Amino acid sequence: MEFDELQKIWHSQTNEPLWVINEKALYKRILVKKAKASHITNFSELLVLIVYAGAGSLIAGLNYVKPKPNLMLYLMAAWMFATALYVLVSRIRRIKGSHAFDRSMLGELNYAVSMATYQVRFSQLMRWNIIPVGILSLWGVWRVDQSVWLVLGIVMVFILGYAGGGWEHRIYIAKKRELEALQRKLMIGL
Amino acid sequence: MSEIEQNRIFDTWLGQYKALLFKVVRAYAATAMDQDDLFQEIVIQVWHSIPTFRQQSSSSTWIYRIALNTALKWVGKERKHAAAQESLDSIPAILQETKVQVDERLTWLYEAIYQLDEIDRSITLLLLDGFSYKEMATIVGISESNVGVRINRIKKQLITKAKQQDHYGI
Repeated sequence: MEFDELQKIWHSQTNEPLWVINEKALYKRILVKKAKASHITNFSELLVLIVYAGAGSLIAGLNYVKPKPNLMLYLMAAWMFATALYVLVSRIRRIKGSHAFDRSMLGELNYAVSMATYQVRFSQLMRWNIIPVGILSLWGVWRVDQSVWLVLGIVMVFILGYAGGGWEHRIYIAKKRELEALQRKLMIGL
Repeated sequence: MSEIEQNRIFDTWLGQYKALLFKVVRAYAATAMDQDDLFQEIVIQVWHSIPTFRQQSSSSTWIYRIALNTALKWVGKERKHAAAQESLDSIPAILQETKVQVDERLTWLYEAIYQLDEIDRSITLLLLDGFSYKEMATIVGISESNVGVRINRIKKQLITKAKQQDHYGI
């Protein structure tokens, strides 16, 4: 069989589609999908922003009204505001950057890779950020309350948070590698 | 653009290009469940893309581009992730097979295309549908010479497979 013949076989289906569309089911699914449209990156960015800005305000406010304010808690609040600000700036830059890709397959793949790179970096930074926040929290608690159990409890929470962050980070790395493999296949033409 | 206008264009495109969408779905997804899932992904992307369509290319080129790109990204983990994430069991299937007698050579051709790697599958569909090298290069985002190299290789592969099948009487 030569290629022209393959093409003839191929065109035979154009006038007689092999499937019909259940339009009712299709519209229902689109509505379900639209409801789930908030992308994971958007969600995690907004969540981190709200949590850090909210926790920073709460810590600073509570510390301020205390008779003897704790310097460590002010430092922690400042660190949290700085993190929230960093996330906000990154988010704005990410959204602006998303318009720089064309609508070809390679352009879309490049965009997907850049999003995956952003997610990898973001999850890594948020994971590392647990360390200074944990140290400042422990320091603040240690100065106020000498209970060893409370300190141990806080240490456990931060260790679990760090481990959970690692798990999330590995998911993003795997996704990024997969996209990069596709990108390489498209670019090298082998 | 209003949602009514967007829905109107969507309905027109869906009616006009469903054969094109079926081809892409069949080339990239093997099981009925996966075909349904991929078809859903593609039409959602097409629906989303309507406000950004600037008529710089024909609507068929635009839809092919979206369909192939969605299929490419859908292959692999995305598909498993999406399937696990959504509990759509209560919603009936989108694609229903017609009673058309299918040419077995066409079934063979789809199998042969499915065996190509995911990038070559896109180029094969465009090639079989008669797109020029220039159009293919624009849709895929690679150079025309790269398209040419890939097409030579794909043609050789398909013809070799077809000749092997000829021995078995297909």
